[in-house]
Amino acid sequence: MIENTKCECGHQNRVGTVLCEACGKPLLEEDQQQGGLLEMRYDGVARRSQRANPNFIDRVWNFFSSVKVAIYLIIITLIGAMLGTIFEQESNFINFDPSTYYKNKYGTIGEIYYRLGLSHTYESWWFILLLVMIGASLVICSLDRVLPLYKALSKQKVRKHLAFLTRQKIVYQGEINEDGEEWVQRAVQPLRKKHYRVYTDGSALLAEKQRFSRWGPYIIHIGLIVFLLAVLFRGLPGLHLDKHYWFPEGEITHIPDTNLYLKNEKFSVEYYSEDEMSEDFKARGKVVPKLFETQAVLYECTADCDDPSKEPQLREVKRHAIRVNDPLSYKGLQAYQFDFDLTPKLRSVQPALVDVKTGESYGKFKLDMRNPEREYKVGPYRLTLQNKYMDFSLNDEGKPVSISGEPNAPAFLFLIKGPDLPEDGAQYIYFPKQIDKERFQQDAINEQLGGVQSKLRLDVLGMEDVDFIEASSYLNIRVDRAMPFVWVGLGIVMLGLVIGFYWQHRRIWLRVDGRQLTLGGHTTKNWFGMRREVSAFLQSMGVEADEKSLENRGKHP
Amino acid sequence: MNFLEISRVAFMTAFLLYCAAFIFYVVAVTGKTWRNRDPKRHEKKWGRISFAVSSLGLLSHFVYCGTRWAYSGHVPVSNMYEFMTFLSMMIMVAFTIVFIIYRKILLGMFALPLAIIIMAYAAVFPRDVQPLIPSLRSIWLYIHVTLAATGEAFFAVGFVAGLMYLLRAVDFKATDKAGRRQKWWVEFTLFSIIIVLGFIVSVFAFRAAGYEAVFVQNQTTIDTQVEQNSTIEDKEVYNLPPIVGPHQSEPEHIQPFLGMKKPLFDAPSWMRGETAGRKLNTIIWAILTGIVLYLLLRLILRKPLGTALSPAVRGIDPDDLDEISYRAIAIGFPIFTLGALIFAMIWAQQAWGRFWGWDPKEVWALITWLFYSAYLHLRLSRGFQGRKSSWLAVLGFLVVMFTLVGVNLIIAGLHSYAGTD
Repeated sequence: MIENTKCECGHQNRVGTVLCEACGKPLLEEDQQQGGLLEMRYDGVARRSQRANPNFIDRVWNFFSSVKVAIYLIIITLIGAMLGTIFEQESNFINFDPSTYYKNKYGTIGEIYYRLGLSHTYESWWFILLLVMIGASLVICSLDRVLPLYKALSKQKVRKHLAFLTRQKIVYQGEINEDGEEWVQRAVQPLRKKHYRVYTDGSALLAEKQRFSRWGPYIIHIGLIVFLLAVLFRGLPGLHLDKHYWFPEGEITHIPDTNLYLKNEKFSVEYYSEDEMSEDFKARGKVVPKLFETQAVLYECTADCDDPSKEPQLREVKRHAIRVNDPLSYKGLQAYQFDFDLTPKLRSVQPALVDVKTGESYGKFKLDMRNPEREYKVGPYRLTLQNKYMDFSLNDEGKPVSISGEPNAPAFLFLIKGPDLPEDGAQYIYFPKQIDKERFQQDAINEQLGGVQSKLRLDVLGMEDVDFIEASSYLNIRVDRAMPFVWVGLGIVMLGLVIGFYWQHRRIWLRVDGRQLTLGGHTTKNWFGMRREVSAFLQSMGVEADEKSLENRGKHP
Repeated sequence: MNFLEISRVAFMTAFLLYCAAFIFYVVAVTGKTWRNRDPKRHEKKWGRISFAVSSLGLLSHFVYCGTRWAYSGHVPVSNMYEFMTFLSMMIMVAFTIVFIIYRKILLGMFALPLAIIIMAYAAVFPRDVQPLIPSLRSIWLYIHVTLAATGEAFFAVGFVAGLMYLLRAVDFKATDKAGRRQKWWVEFTLFSIIIVLGFIVSVFAFRAAGYEAVFVQNQTTIDTQVEQNSTIEDKEVYNLPPIVGPHQSEPEHIQPFLGMKKPLFDAPSWMRGETAGRKLNTIIWAILTGIVLYLLLRLILRKPLGTALSPAVRGIDPDDLDEISYRAIAIGFPIFTLGALIFAMIWAQQAWGRFWGWDPKEVWALITWLFYSAYLHLRLSRGFQGRKSSWLAVLGFLVVMFTLVGVNLIIAGLHSYAGTD
């Protein structure tokens, strides 16, 4: 069926046009008879999606161009996001087993929650798909409306159809006692004073202001698209790094996957003193930390970086006191204060090899926890390091493992060769910390390994042979190359919000037919203020019209 | 007298002035029909008095805020007491701005009680000045929290106007199904507000009586390093008589209340979180007290609250209310976006190294934002005006309150240090 879309004023409109693009006459048959208020959104122009014979692409376009679909997407996303807050998300934990955690903690409900995949809602395919669909909807909805609207607003006709005026939300009709054209000319000045742009065409007038506010919503949508794209691209390899590392005080530590080294010169914690607390709070007897600070020095490796036999050549590039809310930042890499540990940890010990029977010491050697040497020679004995465990533990199968890289419970497995020992040596495990010796039963293990402990033992003879790391700091190392785009996107959103919400596009149409004055007014919001403005304008023209009387509720046609 | 004492006095002064202003607004609105009066002159005169008193209250509220700031050295929004007080202050600011634009005295009669309830709710929480932990020591605390509260305050005014629209537009004499449903939901909304009131009343009543009950909760934790079980005794102090005891706990001492010497039942096993039992107990008390208050009101008024309130709004044009509600939300939306989302992201990036981490509070701020986006789209593109739009404004404020209070009470997260006990 071919619709006749030609208006009586002679203008050929596109399919889907509600109000004639030229004169504003309502085009829909039923609309002409109803005589209610006009639907003024997008100024009644046809949207791009309103086509006579849509093909497949048009249909996809039409789907996403619908505001109704957009609202459904928003609501589904909203409900999905709600579901994700019922229980903790998996991403909150570092070491745990989600398949048992939810069941143990919350019972059957937790199990169902986990099985449904809601324990990782925000990483699930359907949630990301929803965000992508919102993105598509943003692009298509905007394009579908902004272009026709732009065209309509940039070529507005001054003289509009009478029905267009009388069916606005603000209407005034009355008699005047002078010539139409003169009255219209006289109306130009007061309107200009109210910052309107005024166009006249004989006895018809169009006054308009703050049209730019109409672009607010589209600017918001552009900003959101930039934001969503930036977030999407963050996931690409190389753009994103997010790791937590341990930085012991006084050591230079390599930051994995970079050529950077970071030295924690000093870590300090400061607490609030009693003078800084209010009386009430003092009574609670709580200790509150005030500051966590890592004095950090960042080095860049200049040579010998990957050669394990040589020490890397380092050059200092940055010095910064890293605090919560004040990260170190260097060429897109950020180091954040994440956590700390004030329990002293072993840096190195100097154990002596002692003959159990005679109590004679064969001499001592320096055993560095993080970088032990492969082999030590003590008296007539040769100790070869076979394995080291920084954080000793036994796994489910009873095999020794290290559960972390920090020297919480260090253990060293040596192969000792020398007099009175078997030809190919005997194994001996050594726990430098006394508490670990007892906890893991060093003697019992050594008994199983071959019984060397009855002949020889490694022992620290005095506190001067122990070196501690006093404090350690945990830093969160991050690289996020997409961040600038995220901020730009959000900046655009904000600009659009301010433009769209704090200004209003106001228009006043006037026409004088004989002695009959007809005024129609439209604004995108704040009708109250608009009515006040129109009333004041009419008053300045010598026409008394109460603010409330200007309101057209669609009763009269 | 130091700053802290001044701020306490100012808080009480503001509270009392708001209460007085509320009564004056009621006089201004309902007194028009009194005998021997010219309604216009009466409204003008009393409207002026009411607005002056409420502005004076706001001034005193500013004094509270300023002196507490001066005393503690940081903007008073760092715990639940401070935040809720700040929110009620911003609601008064938002109300004052909207009032200056629209000059509707009736708005005061409904906005003031909201500010008063939120202020009283704030007073439930511990009032001491707490030192800031390192993660809160940032300029963004000032900007993010205050702006978010401002945006939410405008949503609150949108809610007030929306509720007034409903009281005005819903036909309380309707007997058809749709009409009865509307009536029921208005009544439910008012009932929900009374439950909050019930919470405040019960907390203050038992606080005044010095009520206390203590439970001991044994928590067994397994230390993986030592592979030994160690038992930690947790003490849980109730300030309301325990209807529900904490899960697996023994009462240490309980002051008998109405002959009740032990909890009627224990909290279910899945409510194992810290203080979960106490929170459930508080909610039960709030609902019980709310029901009692509601029934008392019904007994006094002898009709549903909605029906009783509707004559008060008869004199106002519903279209104006619809516009005020929308306008308040339209003013609040950009402020909320900036404060609760954008500045929150900047701060999160600085403090935690990620601008977004799906923390429950963040998610709920996003939910609030999505809800109001849907509201705006429905209103601007789908022609939701009047009743539908007002219902959304009411529902939206519920979402806001859940984000502010519910998330802290029910779901913990990174924002849990906002002080919920």
